[in-house]
Amino acid sequence: MLAPSAVILGVFVLYPLGRAVWLGQQRCDNFGNNCVSQGFGQYLDLFRSTEFQNALEVTFRFALITVPAGVILGVGLAVLADKYLRGIGVFRAVFSSTVATSVAVASLMWLFLLQPSVGALANVGWFNSLFPSVKSPGWLQDPDTALWAVSASSVWANLGFTFILVTAGLQSIPRDLHEAAAVDGAGGIRRFWSITVPMLGPTLLFVMIVSSTRAFQTYGEIDLLTGGGPQPTNPTTTIPYFIYGQNSPIRNDAGLQAGAAVLLFLMLLVLSGLQLAGIGRRVHYGE
Amino acid sequence: MASEHVIEPAEPMVTDPVAPADDTSRRHPRQSFDEPSGAGRLGRYALLCLVTFVVVFPIYTTVVAALKPGSEVLENPLVPTTVTFDVIVDAWNEGRLGRYLLNSFIVAFVVTTAQVVTSVLAAYAFAILQFPGKRIVFLVFVATLLVPLEATLVVNLDTVDSLGWLNTYQGLAVPFLATAFGIFLLRQVFLTLPRDLRDAAAIDGVGHLGFLRHVAIPLVRPTIGALALFSFLGTWNQYLWPNLVINEADMNTVQSGLRLLSRSSLSEPNLVMAGTVIAAVPIFIALFVFQRQLVRGLTAGAVKG
Amino acid sequence: MLPPSRAPRSSGHRSGRGRRRPLLRIAALIVVAGTVAAACSSGESALEIDSGDETATTTVAPDATTDGTGGDAPDDTAPATTTTVAPLADFPECPTDALASADGTVEITFWHGMNDVLEDSLIELTNLYNASQDQVRVTLQNQTGYDAAIDKYIQSSPDSRPDMIQFPEYSLQTFAQSDTLIPVGACIESSGFDTSAFLDRAIEAYTFQGVQWAMPFNVSNPVLYYLRPKFDAAGLDPDVSPITLEDVRETSQQIVDSGAATYGLVLDSGTNSGGGWFLEQWFARAGEPYADNDNGRTAPATEVLFDSAAGVELMTFLQNLIEDGLAVSVGDNASGQDTYLKLIDPAADGAMTIGSSAALGGVLAAIDSGLAQGLTAADVGIGPMPGPSPVPGVNLGGASLWIVDGKGDENAAAAWDYITYLITAEAQSQWASQTGYVPVRSDALDLEPLVSTYADDPRFRVAYDQMVGEVGSEVSLAPVLGPQREVRVATANATAAIFNGADVATALADAAAQANALIASYNQRN
Repeated sequence: MLAPSAVILGVFVLYPLGRAVWLGQQRCDNFGNNCVSQGFGQYLDLFRSTEFQNALEVTFRFALITVPAGVILGVGLAVLADKYLRGIGVFRAVFSSTVATSVAVASLMWLFLLQPSVGALANVGWFNSLFPSVKSPGWLQDPDTALWAVSASSVWANLGFTFILVTAGLQSIPRDLHEAAAVDGAGGIRRFWSITVPMLGPTLLFVMIVSSTRAFQTYGEIDLLTGGGPQPTNPTTTIPYFIYGQNSPIRNDAGLQAGAAVLLFLMLLVLSGLQLAGIGRRVHYGE
Repeated sequence: MASEHVIEPAEPMVTDPVAPADDTSRRHPRQSFDEPSGAGRLGRYALLCLVTFVVVFPIYTTVVAALKPGSEVLENPLVPTTVTFDVIVDAWNEGRLGRYLLNSFIVAFVVTTAQVVTSVLAAYAFAILQFPGKRIVFLVFVATLLVPLEATLVVNLDTVDSLGWLNTYQGLAVPFLATAFGIFLLRQVFLTLPRDLRDAAAIDGVGHLGFLRHVAIPLVRPTIGALALFSFLGTWNQYLWPNLVINEADMNTVQSGLRLLSRSSLSEPNLVMAGTVIAAVPIFIALFVFQRQLVRGLTAGAVKG
Repeated sequence: MLPPSRAPRSSGHRSGRGRRRPLLRIAALIVVAGTVAAACSSGESALEIDSGDETATTTVAPDATTDGTGGDAPDDTAPATTTTVAPLADFPECPTDALASADGTVEITFWHGMNDVLEDSLIELTNLYNASQDQVRVTLQNQTGYDAAIDKYIQSSPDSRPDMIQFPEYSLQTFAQSDTLIPVGACIESSGFDTSAFLDRAIEAYTFQGVQWAMPFNVSNPVLYYLRPKFDAAGLDPDVSPITLEDVRETSQQIVDSGAATYGLVLDSGTNSGGGWFLEQWFARAGEPYADNDNGRTAPATEVLFDSAAGVELMTFLQNLIEDGLAVSVGDNASGQDTYLKLIDPAADGAMTIGSSAALGGVLAAIDSGLAQGLTAADVGIGPMPGPSPVPGVNLGGASLWIVDGKGDENAAAAWDYITYLITAEAQSQWASQTGYVPVRSDALDLEPLVSTYADDPRFRVAYDQMVGEVGSEVSLAPVLGPQREVRVATANATAAIFNGADVATALADAAAQANALIASYNQRN
């Protein structure tokens, strides 16, 4: 019974990971041949190199923008749409609709919006007067705003997913809790923080872990929107894009690529662990 | 308003152990507690409309662009000055999107089916069967969830290449035929199956497979449905892997096909937008049809932790 | 009151704030971890990670006539080897007569990176070839771009490689040293092919250490695109375009002063344009070395030389143009179209820009389709690329055809046959006339449809004319580097910084350091 899964997971997940760990301390030629072992100190060297640190910083910033924004917006929208109003179903459908957009679809939509001289949001007079800090040549071309633009695209694309999850979570909170609290005189906001948020605990944890893991694996958006970021600071080169992107300095270095990928894995491990330990402990699963 | 609050009926006995939490039988339609008052209602509607506008805006501009002929695409991105379906037809033909949709569908279908099958089998083993080292093996399986695609990419590409599976459906599908996520999800659900069910079946002389087939699976159908939906969506949306595995134009999936289209039609943004619309429509339809299942399944997985 | 089974664990009063604290704590922890991790940056590039034993890099002892800056030649113990010309015998053979003895049709695959109009034209030529004979059948596989083709090729195992592939000019060294391809020079020799009608520069461009590795196919070079109405409005003769960089400054000054356009010259810092390729062009034109060992032609380059005084002077000139408001940069031009779009930007437009001649067809078509109000294709003027010398001259861009080794004699011979078709005068005439690429041989100019194209629209001829000059010295050819594309990324970053106002000498020095690290890493590993 276990055999099929074991084989697939073994061959396509565990074996490559092991191989990558070994490869990460080697250096190979452009074609991935003639690999020479350098010792595991290479991992430390790679971690401390300027390019990796830059990518790390970019990835952290990206996660710090998109994860809280995504969670807050998701919860906000879900709470907003959680009332019995006529036609609320339509609104709910609209809010969940972005779950149908893939990375490529969402990124291209936003690329079209933000492209200078073509996009509806770029170089538009009224928009620029609202946000005077946006200078030409455009959102995606300005090193200061590029990451924010990519984040906006990413948050938008993940909105539907978060919304659906949080809505489902909200609906599992028994109404009597709210009623009883209302009877006791608790207002809407008080009820939100004292009942809704704690009861959403498991959902929020799940959303956060999935969102942050996704943030650390951002590749498609970068590939389609900025190609690593306006030069010369390349402020949108996340770690995956650093490894596999078009302008990556380690593109032809299989050893360093594998090493960086393994470092990414380790970081995700730590990240998930932190979240589970830190927040997971505070989360109670009801009943 | 305390005088109007209604006592809820007692929780009905559920035979379905994974009753999804969004079951609306618990929502009394006349709970005025939930209904905002007049001004509050207006405010809420206004807010809802505003948010809708923001969410829909990119989709709107995309559709508008997809319907515009090339000469007008740079002006008035918000207003559909001329509506033509030619661009969409062009994108379909030039961009070979029909073929790509088919490819995506085939791969997603195969992967989904395989993931469901392998996950059900493995989850059952973990939940019901006893064997030495079960805990450790399970942990190892779950650990694979944490391994990002990037770490396994290069080696998998090598493996697929040496099997001669580049540019094939197998190459696209096989590395993903099993997933620890599905195993985890289904194991959770199998664990909630009452022991007596299993014991009764054993007394009747029904083996594991029979039990699985006739009793367990029907009971966990919603979760299986959710897993299927997740798998399908996940595979449909894959971007990096198809890009690496496919060289032949005809074998692209919709996502890598879109990338192709965006690179080869730089001067025709409306064509790219039309391609985007074509790529998104099937999933929108599927989402619309399977809405309930999706929500149910997501609930079962997330809230139960 | 509350149904006991549903009570939250902690009392309702405190769970609100208690809920928020761990979230904040985690966020703080992550931020701190990030800062700490960043603080332990070593400040070294990933490329400087030691890759094992220093293999003796072959350097040719600097020749006084070619290397004006003798000071920076490494004078350590690396012995000067004499591997300036490698005999063909060291490389795979090209069995051109294997086709005659093949039974049935030989099927070959060709990986190319042509898109849009270019792809259409290639498809047409290939269909003609396939229909004209039944010994060889070619299947085209579009890789969407040169880089994608390179990546796929590198990752593929010998079985999944194509029989023929199109690689760009900047990948010469990588593939010449890869031991996976048959040098086209071997085919030329074994079949007695006559290359006398070919353009010198085209052939030399793909010659590495004395061996011709690839057959030039689609040749382009940078030309000056300008809008004639704006020249008119500024009181300039629309038939005369600036040749030297000083000319560019004067022209821009006149344009800006007269208000014909907001800016004169539109620049960019893209890797295969203003931040990389053009720089290589300008150095070659000025006769200044870009890299050592004769721009990497006589032996693999070991370091770059673009941070020399000549480089600083060149980049400072461009920086001044921008600072004085005579030029503007559109950034990294990832789409390749930003420079052209800037010419018709209704808010702040430019009057001229430098772009690849390969884009000419596309630009004319786009303008004709009504992209810009009031402009027609006839309003676009084309001139030779301006540069730091009074005589126009450029090196080629574009790509070439390579034959893959290890696919069998018949396939190699078939690939050679297809290549010879693509470079016949007839094919080149049609190809150049449809795409705007420069024909690789002069006799293509005597044939239709190119004769008419050049006669009807002399703009298509400009790219050809500026390439027919003889090749002076190696330094007037473009540089050959192992990690050439990555070096271009480094120079592109430096160019972007310079256009934003950074100190020129520092930016160039940084780019040179990065480039040298890239080259050292490449040389050690390959």
